[in-house]
Amino acid sequence: MEKIKKALKKAFPEVELSLHLDERAILTLAGECSSWQQVVAMGHKAAGLPGVKNVVNELRVPGLPVPQMDYRSLCSRGKKRGVVADVDVLIIGAGITGCGIARELAKYKLDILVVEMSGDVATGATKANNGNIHPGHAEKPGTLKARLNVEGNRLYTRWSEELNFTLKRCGAMGFITSTLLWPALLYGYRKALKNGVEGVQLVGGRRAVELEPGLERSGIAPRVKGAMWLPSMALVEPYQVAVALAENAAENGAEFRFNCPVADILTEKGKVAGAVTAKGIIRSKVIINCAGVYADEISAMAGDKSFTIHPRKGVIAILDQAQSPKFDRLTEHITLEAVKQSFKKSHTKGGGMCYTPEKNILMGPSALEIPDKGDLSTSARELAYALGRGDEAISYRSIIRFFAGNRAADYSEDFIIEMSPVTKGFINVAAIQSPGLAAAPAIAGKVEGILAKAAEKEGHPLQKNPRWNPLRPQKPEFRHLSREEQDALIQQNPHYGRIVCRCETITEGEILDALRSPVPPASIDAIKRRTRAGMGRCQGGFCQPRVLELLAKERGEDWTKITLKGEGSPVLLKANRPRAGKKAER
Amino acid sequence: MKRSNVDLVIIGGGPAGLAAALKAKEQGTEKVLILERNIELGGILQQCIHDGFGIHRFNKRLSGNQYAQLFIDAVAQKDIAVKLDTMVLEIRADKTVYACNKREGMLELKAKAVILAMGCRERTASQVLIHGDRPAGVLTAGAVQRYINMEGYLPGSRAVILGSGDIGLIMARRMTLEGMAVEGVYEVMPNPGGLTRNLVQCLDDFEIPLHLSTTVTAVHGRKRVEAVTVAGVNRAMKPIPGTERRIECDLLVPAVGLIPENELSRAAGVEMDPRTGGPLLDENFMTSVPGIFAAGNVAVVFDLVDYVSESGEIAAAGAVHYIAGRLEQKKSDRPVKAGDNISFVVPQRLGKECGETTFYARVKDPAKVATLSCCSGEELIFKKRCRYLAPPEMLTFTTDASGTGALTVAVTKGAGKR
Repeated sequence: MEKIKKALKKAFPEVELSLHLDERAILTLAGECSSWQQVVAMGHKAAGLPGVKNVVNELRVPGLPVPQMDYRSLCSRGKKRGVVADVDVLIIGAGITGCGIARELAKYKLDILVVEMSGDVATGATKANNGNIHPGHAEKPGTLKARLNVEGNRLYTRWSEELNFTLKRCGAMGFITSTLLWPALLYGYRKALKNGVEGVQLVGGRRAVELEPGLERSGIAPRVKGAMWLPSMALVEPYQVAVALAENAAENGAEFRFNCPVADILTEKGKVAGAVTAKGIIRSKVIINCAGVYADEISAMAGDKSFTIHPRKGVIAILDQAQSPKFDRLTEHITLEAVKQSFKKSHTKGGGMCYTPEKNILMGPSALEIPDKGDLSTSARELAYALGRGDEAISYRSIIRFFAGNRAADYSEDFIIEMSPVTKGFINVAAIQSPGLAAAPAIAGKVEGILAKAAEKEGHPLQKNPRWNPLRPQKPEFRHLSREEQDALIQQNPHYGRIVCRCETITEGEILDALRSPVPPASIDAIKRRTRAGMGRCQGGFCQPRVLELLAKERGEDWTKITLKGEGSPVLLKANRPRAGKKAER
Repeated sequence: MKRSNVDLVIIGGGPAGLAAALKAKEQGTEKVLILERNIELGGILQQCIHDGFGIHRFNKRLSGNQYAQLFIDAVAQKDIAVKLDTMVLEIRADKTVYACNKREGMLELKAKAVILAMGCRERTASQVLIHGDRPAGVLTAGAVQRYINMEGYLPGSRAVILGSGDIGLIMARRMTLEGMAVEGVYEVMPNPGGLTRNLVQCLDDFEIPLHLSTTVTAVHGRKRVEAVTVAGVNRAMKPIPGTERRIECDLLVPAVGLIPENELSRAAGVEMDPRTGGPLLDENFMTSVPGIFAAGNVAVVFDLVDYVSESGEIAAAGAVHYIAGRLEQKKSDRPVKAGDNISFVVPQRLGKECGETTFYARVKDPAKVATLSCCSGEELIFKKRCRYLAPPEMLTFTTDASGTGALTVAVTKGAGKR
């Protein structure tokens, strides 16, 4: 403890610290800092000290409030409603982590309920990242992140085949144009081997050019001296994956409840008994905490205060599809500058320029430590950083949209996946930041293992669900079909003959498919995530009224009740005409 | 798949497409087909319930939909095929058009000539780099117009409008008349963007303040708009630190420009003019792809629908010539240059024997007293004294531009002595 105190005093002499180290080697920091950056820096420093497993950071900046959710009023609201459900497994959070776990656990005879504070799946970090299924070469060897990343990457093939979401196994390449940088490639290669990355190779210039036709097209080919080739890199639309997982879980009996934030965890004699949500009390002996940036708060409710999430905001810009990606793979020019950057010990992840399976270029993300978990604002500075992270200056004119997401980072900057040693039945799946998306199948598998082991120990091993169907049906994507196939589809179901989203060529049929899916969308953005309607260059200028109309009709709701992104965000405030919304029958 | 041959396919049944269809029919084209994605003809005019349409063409003050109805009625009386609720997916350089609808499925149409009349889409808040949150309550002016005028809903109660182009001005008035509060109109340029008559009839008459050289830099509100931040801008249109103000509102209406909707055109290989955002056109309003013509806002953003209809007629006349094989030998390689104080001219190139040609242009900077001139090579072929020229007010003139040299259209200060 003394050594810890000394080290922190040395690094931050002006801060009056109070420290506490518990028997789990969790270090709690308290005191006052001069800035949020300092709060985070101290937390990182402390977490890196020998003898510290993780950090609970209660350092504050005078005059800088850290907004808290009003759990008390949510709690009293929920308690008033009493017990509304009694389940075997309660999963908190419907991001990629929660949906993945729900999908895997649905193979057992378990009553599964997923509660989500927002109105839809994938509304947190899951929808706001680059969609990279990383090979796992960049993670620190020996970390849980590294192991699960590599394992998850491999398992994605099966997930995509069973669940029918697009997985583009494009591969990644880091190439050099100066032989002086061979050591950098070698270093990366050795790290990749240590992590068990499949298929990683060091290749010479000629082979690199063969693998990446973009090098020839952009005229760099003659200068390429060699490259590290990572064939296992893949791309997904991350919200598409989460939706697919959720739908399959729901088909197999899992229930999803939205607009259902958790306000308290109930325990009886050191064991989980249930949770108080805004919509009532849910009894359960097993609670799996996948609450993203709020996971630390949920864990504390369960009596396990052993980590702190400090949100790290990332801004990403999406470019017009007319701006074609320069490369066929995810290819990066490894320059001296890039190598210097990687040694700067920054925790930020993500290559500057990336693209999606639908061929939009993504720029970013940036990285900014912020105190407010709910702050998803963008700024000119963050956007400039995101656009600057590429090989060349990207014109602002190609941008169709930019947005932000918050990484759920703890101070150890590694995953926390464990049965809580403090409260039995409470499983933390926390601090899932990058490579959380890539690791998702492996994370789900690990949690499945934790649950199975615990159940075994209790004398009630998990029973397989004989009716479990791992397959999710393929839904037609009109824009990817040939003219003949499109014609056949329309003949079969005329709804596919009306194009609603002109920019992305999304049909009414696809929107209706989404509205009638097992986890139906309840807002305009929810439809956007499932169908792509509204993701194009006009950003819903043409299709939004049409999508709104379909949503209102399907849900039997007044147009003024339809929201952009869940409770509190109606698009229209009031009807101004007696025949509002009524049109000639179509 | 339904395959058919058509003489003339017109993509878009708005004012440009309707005028083109009538002209082509009048000149004897047999199979004329309008493909319209909406459930009714009229294009954007259907949501323009304000008046001021048709002053030049009909000497009347009609509302947008009234203007459109004149053409819609005329089309109904002629043997012009119309497919509504039909979206064009692809146009090929060989003039094959793919479109689909619920009733017929996929259509493969082989046309002798095609007229592009798809109009524009609106520039978005993201494209003008408005930062902050992304709540409900940010709707472009056209979208607000649609919700209010067509669907009968108010998308807010207290609005801030960014952009003083005609659409922004019209919506300032419309929202006020419908009972909403319009806090103000903010314009990033030092001069307003819309027609003078709209400044008077939409802002002055309703005492809605106009703030020039000011822009919206951020939106605030996690679920719905709660406020925006505005800031003064310098000559380079960059926000000036320290001039930020927070304005409470629940609706931000970006009215920040129209972008000609040329995705289909580009995919067909049509060459574009970055200055207009539309295709490079010749005196027949034909694009770089033989037999593909363009008219209306997809060619260049007009301000008066009367000119849009006129452009449709020019394109149709050209298409008729083309179908008859009369444009075979013609080469339109005489460039039309934008001279002094002209930001663009349409058409951008001419043939030697182009004859009476109609030109459309805009000035870069306002001019109180000026001379509009057009020279073919060294020869002055057109001159006109103009007053109160401004970028929002499009210039048009018709003159015999036959000749061999390149053309230059220019606007010079003063009454001119030449």
